[in-house]
Amino acid sequence: MPAIFTVDPRSGVPLYLQLIEQIKRAVALGMLAPAEQLPTVKALALELTVNPNTVARVYRELERDGVIVTSPGRGSFVRTDGAGIEARRAVADVARAAFEAAVREAKSLGLSRAETQELMARTIARWYETENA
Amino acid sequence: MTVPLISLNGLTKRYGSFTAVDDVSFGVDEGSICGLLGPNGAGKTTTFKCLLGFAKPSAGMIAIAGAPVRPATFASLAYVPERASLYDSLTIAEHLTIYRRAYENYDDARARELLALFDLSPSLHAGKLSKGMRTAVALTLAFSIRPRVLILDEPASGLDPVHQRHVLDLMIDAAANGAAVLFSSHQVGQVERAADSVAIMKKGKLIVNSVIDDLKTGEKLVEAVFAGPVPDLDGLARDPSILRIEQAGSTLRIVTREDSDAIAARVFALHPKSIRTIDLNLEEIFMNAVSGDGR
Repeated sequence: MPAIFTVDPRSGVPLYLQLIEQIKRAVALGMLAPAEQLPTVKALALELTVNPNTVARVYRELERDGVIVTSPGRGSFVRTDGAGIEARRAVADVARAAFEAAVREAKSLGLSRAETQELMARTIARWYETENA
Repeated sequence: MTVPLISLNGLTKRYGSFTAVDDVSFGVDEGSICGLLGPNGAGKTTTFKCLLGFAKPSAGMIAIAGAPVRPATFASLAYVPERASLYDSLTIAEHLTIYRRAYENYDDARARELLALFDLSPSLHAGKLSKGMRTAVALTLAFSIRPRVLILDEPASGLDPVHQRHVLDLMIDAAANGAAVLFSSHQVGQVERAADSVAIMKKGKLIVNSVIDDLKTGEKLVEAVFAGPVPDLDGLARDPSILRIEQAGSTLRIVTREDSDAIAARVFALHPKSIRTIDLNLEEIFMNAVSGDGR
């Protein structure tokens, strides 16, 4: 697996949630392919210098969410069925949370509904302009 | 249910009328790393001394691998004190020889590998080493016996950032192989990275003991700014899920233990100009815990 994960232990966001989000993102974007093997708990813990129990918790939750499958003695693999769907759902959740945070921030800074909508429309126009053209 | 490899139950240590450790109970499981935090004088080192049998508890129970500490315990237990004690007239290589003769599990290849990791030459005399290098030698000796239980007092003090990272990796590697690690540190960031659980002591008492990620999930800061002065909080201050309330001018800051959304909703009902919920990192949680009234 490529070294695509970085965690920020000093963040207030729990480490295991940071890692779960990143792995789901990697699956959704195809950086981790179906059937691809994940590093062992120990290898990933040492690579990131984070606690092995934290990584084990990440793998357990990813298995529960249907993103990976772990077979004793063989290791953990990205699921070939449905992993992408769950991962895309998770990524949509991340996008929704980010969107909500942005709107909440605009409101708390005192912007009116019209001003926030205007700002959002302009942002969308900038990032999706190639598709409109 | 697994028995914790390290367990303290009601540990109390008094020196005359002074209580250095006051009814402390917690455990460290196999494969787990616990970071012990606390201001100077909180009782961390005394706790270690009791754990190792160097000080006799005034009350309470201590067990290593489910049994009281006895000489045989030390075959698989490694302790690194804050000030490493080495034989100043001996070389590092001679220290390794002592360990080879004393410990059945001593792994010479591992010891040489760790010396190289810390950029230490075996021919150096211990008396000529800096504080950080002495710590590195003590760590090399500790990890070379492949211990099941590690007790480390400020294991990264005096080391440069690269070697500090090596110390964390050594603890992680040991835990991944099933060891229980208890270490104290003044650097919250090290605990946040390497440990899965944290114990915070203050004035001899254990005031926080939790899985770090669960602590972060629970504790949030709700910050609200009002147009004028902060209005009457109407009983909010007595809510048990609130750890701390600060007011300065028109700003209200509330640290909550659980369900920050419910607290935020109640603050929102007071019509603030702005309100936001902030995730707290371990340093902030630690500061809140030790600067509070001790709850």
